[in-house]
Amino acid sequence: MTNAESFEAFVRRYQDMVFATAVRLLGNPADAEDAAQTVFLRAFERYAQLAGNPAAGGWLKTTARNVSLNHLSRYRARWRFFSEMDADRETGERYEDGLESQVSRAIEPLDDLDRRHRLEQAIHRLPDAQRVPLVLFHFEELGYDEIARVLGVSLAKVKTDIHRARQALRRVLTDDDAR
Amino acid sequence: MTPDNESELERIVAAELRQLPLPRAPETLLPRVMQAVEAAGERAWYAGPWLTWPVAAQLASIAIVAVLAYAGWRVPHAPPSVVAAMSTARVLWEALIQPLLPYLVAVMVLMGLACVVFGAALNYVLLERVEQRR
Repeated sequence: MTNAESFEAFVRRYQDMVFATAVRLLGNPADAEDAAQTVFLRAFERYAQLAGNPAAGGWLKTTARNVSLNHLSRYRARWRFFSEMDADRETGERYEDGLESQVSRAIEPLDDLDRRHRLEQAIHRLPDAQRVPLVLFHFEELGYDEIARVLGVSLAKVKTDIHRARQALRRVLTDDDAR
Repeated sequence: MTPDNESELERIVAAELRQLPLPRAPETLLPRVMQAVEAAGERAWYAGPWLTWPVAAQLASIAIVAVLAYAGWRVPHAPPSVVAAMSTARVLWEALIQPLLPYLVAVMVLMGLACVVFGAALNYVLLERVEQRR
């Protein structure tokens, strides 16, 4: 097997895991595909150490997480400002209402899609500030403290954002159950 | 929401999220990666990041930079043109720049401080205030 064939097999083996990490953090398949490509190019530069290494999966997952967070950090401050302009200052609930209506609109013509697909879509539609800590907690299995450190925000904000994200997802699930 | 309700919400959401299948990579990803890898392979080794160079090339590059730095520091007999240029530069330095140097440094420091203050104020007004409203 040539080096290219070996690397192709390596990509086939890990591409779903890398893409899943990126798409859940970024909430956008196109950006996630770019991030996954960047991850595999970095892996190719270190392929001599990664090939056949049992730690390769962990390295790829960590790199996918870091590449995705770096991608988001370029836009985080700008996003945070404009998203807050849109939010209801009194209750802070308008975003979730908007999400619910967006998800409901998305669900209406897609009755045949299953509940898990709708939940995955709802995760993608969460704002970055809620989706990222939620994904880091539930899929990347980081603790609240570590999430706060990685994102450079306060522990209280991490807990609040994750709570809001869970509430938004629960509304989607409740709505789903009521259908 | 009470802590009990919060932990219940966490449990419910975690249980639902655990059931989600792993999103599958699009079929376009593998060809894209292999194409990019092929392009990277065709690129000369020295066009890549220094950290990816072969060890021998890294050592050689360090040695060359060290020799050049030493040669620049200990030029034994500079040609007359170099000496003349250096003399001109020295005259310009002593006549024009050196007397004003303390003021230039002060202005640069003050401008730096002004930038820091302006940046901090902008960060507070645009970002932290909206953060606190959340």
